[in-house]
Amino acid sequence: MPSPLTFAVPKGRILDEALPVMAAAGVVPEDAFHDKSNRSLTFATTREDMALIRVRAFDVATFVAHGAAQIGIVGSDVVEEFAYSDLYAPVDLQIGHCHLAVAEPADGIAVTDRVSHLRIATKYPNITRRHFEARGIQAECVKLNGAMEIAPSLGLASRIVDLVSTGQTLKTNGLVETAHIMDITARLIVNRAALKTDARIAELVEAFRATRAAADKAA
Amino acid sequence: MNRSTDDLLPIGLEDRLPQQAAAVTRIMRAALTAMDSFGYDRVRPPLVEFEQSLGQRMHGIDTRRMVRFTDPESLRTMALRSDMTVQVGRIAATGLADAPRPLRLCYGGEVAVLQADQLDPARQRLQIGAELIGNDGVEAASEIVSVALAALERAGARNISLDLTLPDIVDVLADQAFPLKADDIASVRRELDTKDAGGLAQVPGGEAYLPLLYAAGPFDEAIATLSRIDAGGALASRIEGLRQIVDKIGTRARVTLDPSERHGFEYQSWFGFTLYAGDARGALGRGGSYAILGPDEPAVGFSLYVDPMLEAVGDEAGEQRPIVFLPVGHDPETAQRLREEGWRTRAALSNSCDAKALGCSHQLVDDSPAPL
Repeated sequence: MPSPLTFAVPKGRILDEALPVMAAAGVVPEDAFHDKSNRSLTFATTREDMALIRVRAFDVATFVAHGAAQIGIVGSDVVEEFAYSDLYAPVDLQIGHCHLAVAEPADGIAVTDRVSHLRIATKYPNITRRHFEARGIQAECVKLNGAMEIAPSLGLASRIVDLVSTGQTLKTNGLVETAHIMDITARLIVNRAALKTDARIAELVEAFRATRAAADKAA
Repeated sequence: MNRSTDDLLPIGLEDRLPQQAAAVTRIMRAALTAMDSFGYDRVRPPLVEFEQSLGQRMHGIDTRRMVRFTDPESLRTMALRSDMTVQVGRIAATGLADAPRPLRLCYGGEVAVLQADQLDPARQRLQIGAELIGNDGVEAASEIVSVALAALERAGARNISLDLTLPDIVDVLADQAFPLKADDIASVRRELDTKDAGGLAQVPGGEAYLPLLYAAGPFDEAIATLSRIDAGGALASRIEGLRQIVDKIGTRARVTLDPSERHGFEYQSWFGFTLYAGDARGALGRGGSYAILGPDEPAVGFSLYVDPMLEAVGDEAGEQRPIVFLPVGHDPETAQRLREEGWRTRAALSNSCDAKALGCSHQLVDDSPAPL
């Protein structure tokens, strides 16, 4: 029997949209995967040689970059944040659309072009630093794992960099979007060495590509 | 501070204990012997050099991650070598500038960086390699691939896989066939690096480069796909070159092509390759064509790294070698004769020494070794 493959999927936002795409490409998890009370982290699939793991989005990239999982699905925000050299993102799955933006309090906006140092709360310190560096500003990042929207009102940071899909969360917390950093969609990611040495990975990439092409045609 | 933290090694640095040290030695010797058998002469450059000479011999070398310090003698900045290829380039351009070409040199030694790679914590590595200087044509590239495969085979690697690339393909295509604005070249490269089709399509002019992403995979199919890209003949000679190189590899390795692969190819020109084997998760080595700056001399070469090779070969590969226990009062001449015959001996210092506990497989009884 060939060595087992591990497919990493993220908890939350992207997963519901990803499952039909995965199914179309022949990756179907066992029923226990959909059982909310099940505490397992590893699940079987209808393919004998493949297991599914469900982890946090940032960890999907880490597992795949290190070759612990060979293939996975994650937002392009995570791919850009890590910029892992051993990670490929060969297929844009066109799901999980949103964008990454800078936001600040609606009342009392500081003027950016006269400031050389900014304090920013974000889950994405690398992207944030790169974005502001390109504008000649040193961004001092406060790494948070969620709920950055409350950081400005509590004085933790003057601005935040976060994912925006509808903009409702920003509005509710008295923030306005001031700069668009990048559009985000979910990507199929694969480990470099696995793609080059295991023909099954290339086949999976082709299957996802074909699924995307079919969806484009239907649209 | 307590003793246990005093003795910690810095992250990314480790001791090789006997079993692993033996495996490393065996791999290094096997690889160097293979290179030697192809007529490559070994050179031993120093561990430390001036930063400037390590930094400017080839394109794209970054000295930022090197361990650097000021030389109290010359007051210039020195650096610990992080890649021996550059040193061999310097030797070829200076001490051996007048040696007949093509010049075949090989080397093996430790290299170090101040900051490790994101995915690989090692800050010290054992690099083994060979360089063929004075030619970067198809024949030279073919020879260097063959030497690299021989070195891996001799070291015990199985299921070798070779991934070919054309490191300068974006420059070649951007020149005429698929023009790009200077600012966009870096973006196209970055998107190709992650194989991000979505991102590539968003760069102005990037769409033309999409076929490169699909021309990757098993060599025969991938090269056919690459040949169908209409680049006004810009790629024809490169494609022909790759075909000739692959013809000579035969069944020694599984060959794949990924024309836009650039990772680890900072200074390579038209041709590059990455070596994988067995169960090792990472690449075992890389090679390709490049230019030695200064004399602007063409060259091809490759480097292997022992750590991933250990993963591919395993440190058990050498069978437990027999050791003869020499009891107190043994005859020294008999012991010497055994050593000359190739036995390893381990002598008792007192009667309390125990043969088994000391890992011996035999014991000297009368004049000959008897199994324990």
